[in-house]
Amino acid sequence: MDDFYVQATPTSPEIDFRFSSNTLGIRGESYPENAAAFYSDAIRQLRLYLATLGATHVEINVELKYFNSSSTKILYTLFGMLNDCVRQGNDVTLNWFHDEEDETILEFGEELYEDFGELNFRPTAVSAA
Amino acid sequence: MFTGNNQMELEKFSAFHDAAHREGLLFFYSGYFSQNIVAAMADAVRYRLKIQPAKSETLRKVFSAFVEMSQNIVHYSAEPITDEAADDHEMRYGTVSLGQQGDSYFVACGNPVSLDEAPVLKEKIDRIRVMTAEEIKKAYRERLRSESEQGSKGAGLGFLTLARDATRPINYAFEKLPSDATVFFYLKAVI
Repeated sequence: MDDFYVQATPTSPEIDFRFSSNTLGIRGESYPENAAAFYSDAIRQLRLYLATLGATHVEINVELKYFNSSSTKILYTLFGMLNDCVRQGNDVTLNWFHDEEDETILEFGEELYEDFGELNFRPTAVSAA
Repeated sequence: MFTGNNQMELEKFSAFHDAAHREGLLFFYSGYFSQNIVAAMADAVRYRLKIQPAKSETLRKVFSAFVEMSQNIVHYSAEPITDEAADDHEMRYGTVSLGQQGDSYFVACGNPVSLDEAPVLKEKIDRIRVMTAEEIKKAYRERLRSESEQGSKGAGLGFLTLARDATRPINYAFEKLPSDATVFFYLKAVI
């Protein structure tokens, strides 16, 4: 399956899904005008990729500076898909990078952890630039 | 002291500028809203907030409220200049402001809404206004877990996000407009 890449813009993140090495990345800002439209291709590709997996270790790195409410909803869907894929016999590590002073993003990460307990959730504080 | 060939006009502008400064206004825009305009404003607001003497967590919440409100106008103002049915590349009329008020910050916005939409908004916000911080968090999480509501271009999380970030109940007002078809909807969050 081909890797999937979308370049970052000032209001949307870089999406770097390296399916060939089971490493996924989402980095940057996330407040596109229409989050559902922005993420739809990425979600579709991810769904196809996850369906092919078996006993695989997947690593996802999420490093978002800010995400708006509609992006929050999409991210929640995305992590739900990863959580389901653990139930299919895979294991997923979610590296959740957040600004050390950003409680909102850390809190959201913790909520994800409560709802999607199958994910190996690793919050990592990074110092503000 | 004003000198120049067009004193009167510029004195008015100067009075406007000084009043804005006195009132603690850090940003004000009135006009058409599109995603590109929101992106440019967000950039300006970030720079403006960077030098504010407040906790970075507070400033992040102010920024978040600013983006949520501005994007609401792009999506929901009843005065579009793009196709009514569009859900991308929209452009609609509204106003947004951000400033300092005592020890707090405020973000306020306004845009026309249809007569039918006004009571729906009122009911939605009234329901959130009476919630405690814990109840807001709970409602937010429930909404996050549920399917998107009809007619929402976001996730139905917008007002709850504003309420979660605000330190007081979010405030709103409706103002009758000369046209019968719309009312002006104002919303304010104090952070």
